[in-house]
Amino acid sequence: MTLRRAECLALIAAALAMPACSRSSAGSIRVGSKNFSEDITVAEIYAAALERAHIPVERHMDIGSTQIALAAMQRGDIDLYPEYTGTGLIDVLHLPPMHDASALYSTVKSAFERRFGITWLAPSPANDSQGLATTRSIAQKYGLKTLSQCARLASQLRFASVPEFVVRADALPGLQKFYGGFKFKDTRMYAIGLQYAALERGEADVATAFTTDSQIASDDLVLLQDDRHFWPPYNIAPVVREAALRAHPQIAGILNHIAPRLTDDAVRKLNLQVNVQKLDPADAAAQFLGTV
Amino acid sequence: MTYLSHHVPQTAQLLLQHIELVAAGLALALIVALPLGFFAARKAALATPIFGSAGVIYTIPSLALLALAVKYLGLGFWPLVLVLAAYAQFILIRAAATALQSVPAAQLDAATGLGMSPTQRLLRIEIPLAMPVFLGGLRLATVASIAIATLGGYVGAGGLGDDIFFGLQRQYLDQTLAGSIPAALLAIAADALLRLMERAYARRITA
Amino acid sequence: MPQPSSSVRFDGVTVRYAGADRNAVDGVSLEIPSGAFTVLLGPSGCGKSTLLRTVNRLAVPVKGTVYVGDTDAAALDPIELRRNIGYVIQAVGLFPHMTVAQNISVVPSLLRWDRARIAARIDELLELVSLDPSRYRGRYPRELSGGEQQRVGVARAIAAEPQVLLMDEPFGAVDAIVRASLQDEVHRIARRLNATIVFVTHDVDEALRLADRIVVMRDGKVEQYDTPLRILTSPANAYVAQLLDTGDTIRRLGLLRVQDAMRSVDGTVDAYIDGARSLREALNAFLNGARVLGVQKSGELAGILDFDDVRRALRA
Repeated sequence: MTLRRAECLALIAAALAMPACSRSSAGSIRVGSKNFSEDITVAEIYAAALERAHIPVERHMDIGSTQIALAAMQRGDIDLYPEYTGTGLIDVLHLPPMHDASALYSTVKSAFERRFGITWLAPSPANDSQGLATTRSIAQKYGLKTLSQCARLASQLRFASVPEFVVRADALPGLQKFYGGFKFKDTRMYAIGLQYAALERGEADVATAFTTDSQIASDDLVLLQDDRHFWPPYNIAPVVREAALRAHPQIAGILNHIAPRLTDDAVRKLNLQVNVQKLDPADAAAQFLGTV
Repeated sequence: MTYLSHHVPQTAQLLLQHIELVAAGLALALIVALPLGFFAARKAALATPIFGSAGVIYTIPSLALLALAVKYLGLGFWPLVLVLAAYAQFILIRAAATALQSVPAAQLDAATGLGMSPTQRLLRIEIPLAMPVFLGGLRLATVASIAIATLGGYVGAGGLGDDIFFGLQRQYLDQTLAGSIPAALLAIAADALLRLMERAYARRITA
Repeated sequence: MPQPSSSVRFDGVTVRYAGADRNAVDGVSLEIPSGAFTVLLGPSGCGKSTLLRTVNRLAVPVKGTVYVGDTDAAALDPIELRRNIGYVIQAVGLFPHMTVAQNISVVPSLLRWDRARIAARIDELLELVSLDPSRYRGRYPRELSGGEQQRVGVARAIAAEPQVLLMDEPFGAVDAIVRASLQDEVHRIARRLNATIVFVTHDVDEALRLADRIVVMRDGKVEQYDTPLRILTSPANAYVAQLLDTGDTIRRLGLLRVQDAMRSVDGTVDAYIDGARSLREALNAFLNGARVLGVQKSGELAGILDFDDVRRALRA
């Protein structure tokens, strides 16, 4: 009886000790990502690039939403993750939209440095803006091409959304106000990625979309035009803890070198590989870096 | 099962993380639940508030509790362990209390009459005789924890939930199955193992 | 080895359970001499078990004092007290996850006896209760019959050589045949033990068979405290008379021995009977046709007994 009890205690102690063993080793950079495949894939690209330059990397992919990832970085649980300039402006800093991409970038950079001790490295051309999508058949049926038209027809349309979209100031609430106040016939919540399936199955007429999503290109879907320019640019860029950057100044050079290569097309291709061709994000990242 | 066959080491690592999460959650749960169950069994007046609080926690949706924990505790692992421990309370406190109360009065009277101190009686008689009932509750809590631990996929805590949710997002069913099938097998294995222990204990203590 | 006194004395002992409307034990005072086999006899609820349990402090008096071997039981550490008092209960309460040997060794282990002494004691006790040590040592309670379990229960109770042994209706849960043999065992062991035995029962025949003295109880009070024979011949009141059915002469005959009623003379006899047997058995012989019985002691004829001798013994 006593022997068995000792075994149990040993098991429990081991279980509690195990996570402590995976603390970050000094000198490595902890690369994280938000909870959707594009951010994960770009994070894998950043991580692989650093590793090729012989900087040890610890991965913490798929942490959670914008709030959670940023909180993790502020607490010092991670050092770096891919963020979007428009998201930083509206969702984090709660400032009104700007449409000049470089002015926007400077604004978020200085604000993040001042408030969080976090800086932005060079932005990429890829603009993963938010948007609304619909199927080709519905677009034809209602003559639906722009967001203004969508706003007018909203009461007849069923909306498939993702969780962040209905609460972010740079998403549905802001969009509704900007386009003169409208309400969809009904709104249903889906996990990120599944809202497209709802659209295809005919469970919804309009769905949340991101402009670099692979589903836009490969599926029978149409992106509605932001004719009144509600959305600011969402250029992708690494956000880094200033302390980590001081410890590893070469990070800036390495990641800024890749930045120009992440174009709209490059990012759509990555999304196609990961979401449609079911490649591992790490493999897609390796292929991308192979061409740089 | 193409995904699984090409990702054996990754799946194995997620399985190991999953077991870590469940083990840590149960260990933490037991540290709290065992004393509480003991007091609930000894003092009827304490039983109601103790069971009541555990019940209230149990009704909070797990994802809500998890989001709260992540906000204050950071990245996935510890928040999820905390949530697992919180949910297990409902089953484990009750199991501990019921188990102690199931020890026959004759054995308790004999133990006291022979001259065992309250501690000796607890360690040598009550706990061994209470084990089968308690193991039944532990079995339930373990299986429930294996299921709840898949929520780790939402907050990057590791574990098989990572595959389940990433697969859902990419609409890659194979990946989702690579997460959910091992989780189900883990639950079945844990249930079978604990059932065996339960039965072995019960055989030993039939009067 | 001279033993210190192991008498048990009750001095105005009153016990009342929380929320009860009357006392379970009401002002009981009596003294049980060292080495005596005393039976507490009465119907359910008369307080006999409660009185018993005041000796090892499983029941606590609200008034009065219990003395164990001249010491106030309340002044002693209850756990130490219990380790030195044997306790046998009706439900036996053997620990099912322990072997017979482990059950018996509980109190010696608590008293920190060394291993060799405990092992020897276990074998000694099993022999004492007529269980073959080599066959029973390693068995578990579930493998034993009710009678065997209670034998182990008794062995467990006396393992540490207590000078006081408390037995609370120990044979109530076994069938009549097993009960008779267990009573014989206890009777036999009692003489070898040198302990003061306090035995609770509601079975009148059991009390008459085993007791040196009987305490007849009702509603928490003592109705009579005397030897079995004197209770049968001079019951204190109608209650005692009715409880023990003292009008039942045959019962009384069971308590009288042939050798005490015989005449030490010669004569023609129809059959023989051993002097240690009871007059009840002699009556049996007379009812079966004998007129004069020859009484034998250690194989030799010591006297004769006829029916008139029996009637004379009853009148004494």
